[in-house]
Amino acid sequence: MADRSNGAQSPEEQVRALFEDAESSAAKAFEELVRKPSFGRLLALSAENTAALTRIAFDTVDLFWRNLRVAGRADIVRLSRQLHRNEDKLERVLQEVESLRDLVAREREHEEARS
Amino acid sequence: MSAVERVMRFPVNALEYANILLTTDDAVVGATPKEVVWTHRETTLYRYRSSNRRYAVPLLLVFALINRPDIFDLRPGSSLVEYLLEEGFDVFLVDWGYPDEEDAEMGLDEFVCDELDWAVRETLRAAGAEELTLMGWCIGATLCAMYCGLDRDGGRVPVKNLVELTMPIDGRQSGYAKWVGDEDFDVERVAEKYGSLPGGAIDFANKMLKPVTNFWTTYRRLWDGVQEGNARREAYQPMAKWVADNPPFPGKAWAQWIELMYRDAGLLRGRVRLREKRVDLRRIDQSVLVITAGADHIAPRPGTMPFFDLISSEDVEHMARPGGHIGLVAGSAARNELWPEMAAWLAERSEPTN
Repeated sequence: MADRSNGAQSPEEQVRALFEDAESSAAKAFEELVRKPSFGRLLALSAENTAALTRIAFDTVDLFWRNLRVAGRADIVRLSRQLHRNEDKLERVLQEVESLRDLVAREREHEEARS
Repeated sequence: MSAVERVMRFPVNALEYANILLTTDDAVVGATPKEVVWTHRETTLYRYRSSNRRYAVPLLLVFALINRPDIFDLRPGSSLVEYLLEEGFDVFLVDWGYPDEEDAEMGLDEFVCDELDWAVRETLRAAGAEELTLMGWCIGATLCAMYCGLDRDGGRVPVKNLVELTMPIDGRQSGYAKWVGDEDFDVERVAEKYGSLPGGAIDFANKMLKPVTNFWTTYRRLWDGVQEGNARREAYQPMAKWVADNPPFPGKAWAQWIELMYRDAGLLRGRVRLREKRVDLRRIDQSVLVITAGADHIAPRPGTMPFFDLISSEDVEHMARPGGHIGLVAGSAARNELWPEMAAWLAERSEPTN
């Protein structure tokens, strides 16, 4: 920030310094504002209302598509969840197979070492 | 530059300014070559290619559930991954992907007990190692701490070293707590309605902690840089692209996180349970490096300090540095200041390859 005690400042520098002062003060004021409980309450209510409106909008659009016998978002989500469940099971089976394969390999190494 | 010159140059500057903003999405982030080692649901485990491996203990990087892990590998010349590879580490990265509504039931249990646990398993298998170094950042750091503190019926996690970057443990004094700490805010209901919290909403909330700085000053400084002829497009664009890339936050994990961090601070009291198993940070006995940032408004330093009283490690180091939540580790000064110290700490604790 420019040094305002210096009398040699040009008008442009003075304007700039004033602007930066104002910006810095505004930043502090807004940071204090957003830390107030009332702002938190406002944000919380806005988040809840937006969430509710989003859900209503999605449900409405889904209803429209379903009446046309086309899969809506909810159907795709349900299908994706089923795929995820299958993937979870497959992952666990793969890990078991890998563990067994490691076990067999270790036993074979032991046997080879013994013989 | 005189006022007249500024006015004359205004059209050119305005075009350049607009061009920088409009082409931000074209910036390349996460450019270091890597291979997919393992995938499950949205999670992908990557291994970075290296021809200079000097340490046997692999390093697994874990980022937060908000924003993308590309911050570890922001741009060539300013990439922590690139630096660690040059130093000879075998680097892996777990990427949580872009969870969507179908991942709404993914909670912290799933991230710690499944995704992270399995990523550790796959890292060890790929590297042929018995133990690894976990390096977590932000929420990723807390997930790593929870992973190491989880009751395993007497078993030990295969973690040799734990590096925690700007890690929140108790968020009750942070700005977020003023918003979501109030019991009137029905977190469960919001999580249920959204399924997965939109990334844009999370980003907006983050920016609202410092509204003038984030919504105005950043762009004003860029404009000043353009006017002065010293705007660094190659530095601004990758960071701006990373900041704007916000995957959704799975609803269940988000609700658990709010409760854990901003209402209950359950990690301090050992009250957190994942899949009926207790998370007790006293179980952490690994070599631990904690890095905190003095100007961190997302995970303020006082919220990390209780961690030192909880763990039972004997080899503990705290690097308390000036800087912000992300800038400390990803900023332009990090390469010459913080990264060499981190690499030196890791080198002492990562056995050399034979």
